[in-house]
Amino acid sequence: MNDEKSIRLDRMRYTKNTLASGLALLAIFFDVFFFISIYESNVGSWYYNITIGASILYNLIFLLAAFLCSEGIKNYKQAYAYVMVILGVIQIVRIFIYPMKAHTAAVTIQEQAVTVMESGQFVRCVLYLAISAACLFAGAYVGITRSRQLSAHLKSLGLAA
Amino acid sequence: MAQLNVQHVDKIYDNNVQAVFDFNLDVKDGELIVLVGPSGCGKSTTLRMIAGLEDISAGHLLLDGKDITQTPAKDRDMAMVFQSYALYGHMTIYENMAFSLTLRKENPNVIHKKVLAAAEILGLTSQLNKKPSQLSGGQRQRVAMGRSIVRNPKVFLFDEPLSNLDAKLRGATRREILLLHKRLQATMLYVTHDQTEALTLADRIVCMSMGHVQQVGTPLELYDAPANRFVASFIGLPPMNFFEATVRDGYLEGKGFRAALNEEEKGILLPYAGKEIELGVRPEDVIQGDDVAMNVFSNENLGMNTLVHGHLGGGEKVSAKLRGWYDFKNGDNVNIAFARKHFFDKENGVAIRKGESA
Repeated sequence: MNDEKSIRLDRMRYTKNTLASGLALLAIFFDVFFFISIYESNVGSWYYNITIGASILYNLIFLLAAFLCSEGIKNYKQAYAYVMVILGVIQIVRIFIYPMKAHTAAVTIQEQAVTVMESGQFVRCVLYLAISAACLFAGAYVGITRSRQLSAHLKSLGLAA
Repeated sequence: MAQLNVQHVDKIYDNNVQAVFDFNLDVKDGELIVLVGPSGCGKSTTLRMIAGLEDISAGHLLLDGKDITQTPAKDRDMAMVFQSYALYGHMTIYENMAFSLTLRKENPNVIHKKVLAAAEILGLTSQLNKKPSQLSGGQRQRVAMGRSIVRNPKVFLFDEPLSNLDAKLRGATRREILLLHKRLQATMLYVTHDQTEALTLADRIVCMSMGHVQQVGTPLELYDAPANRFVASFIGLPPMNFFEATVRDGYLEGKGFRAALNEEEKGILLPYAGKEIELGVRPEDVIQGDDVAMNVFSNENLGMNTLVHGHLGGGEKVSAKLRGWYDFKNGDNVNIAFARKHFFDKENGVAIRKGESA
């Protein structure tokens, strides 16, 4: 165990996967930004009320799931990486559920037609969700790669993975 | 490793209380020095001044000839191990040991090598992924030592590192420190109030009292030839017996005893003829003989030895560590003799040795 690569691999036996874990936390961070941004919407119909309500509920689930993933992936548990991929896909899907539909839509509030989501808000919402998804995908990639490397290294040392 | 010189160091606190008086010590490269003394004698203060955790009020501190008196603690290249371990509870053992090097932004691969090497030396390899709370006291103290080892400092400083451990673990960890010193050949300063630790670990002992150095010497020198009454009473377990006695006609006459002096002792005490001195006798130097009668009031069997406590004729207490198993009853009279005697000036407590005048 003298070459740099072997030492780097061996280090993983005692150090946490902080990069993957940090990316998962970053995904939460951007999700929260999105969450805050949707409140700027001019909600004038039951549809957007329900969509935002559902979004609030999902956000609670997302926060918990993404945090658990962050802790799991920190300890090189590969299964959490796959959950992160699923969460990332859902973040992408969310772009098409609320911001995309709300952006062009108009509602009547006090007998005046108003746009549910202005362009600036739309761009921010899409961006936050996209970055959140990207962080989850990147974190999952780092998690899977390092978990596999560590597993192979432990095998080579004759230790159970 | 390094040579350390402490020159005329004083410690005076802001409230004008002086904790250390004119401390002088030359520590050789690779030497293990133990600072021993009762609580409040200034030993920890001295160590903290050396570490840079306390200001030096007067005097100089030299490391490898370079004056580091004003050098901040972090730049002194010394590592300190505390009684309380000072480990980070939220970090694993690996992270605790690597922490100081991580702060210095060393290469992670280099840190890894150093941590594994230190863990190997200390037998902590299988514990590296655990948190401090999952380890025993002895293991935690080893982690604290490991954290020092990885830094490869010039001087190791230990501040009562075994005080939090139980007696059995203390013995085992003490042996580990000794092995560690032999293996690393490092310059070490070790503070303790436990004379057993001092005697077993030290290359040289610095015995302190009330901020003053009482004696510097090898463990044998301190045990065999204590410089004064304080050192004689502090080093040795059970402590030395002391009796007031007058030198008269080749005898020492005290309250309830008259002990004959041999030719060498007569020579030493010649300047004290007719004067009162203090006689010191270690319990292990009290043997069964015909010099003095002791009235037993306590008998403690230690296995190989029996510790017998009694009174001499004049009422002075005496302890004897007799080889073998005895079952003396309270009130028994036992005849004893003093196989080896230490003499101290009654005025200043200084040991009376050959060639010294009264």
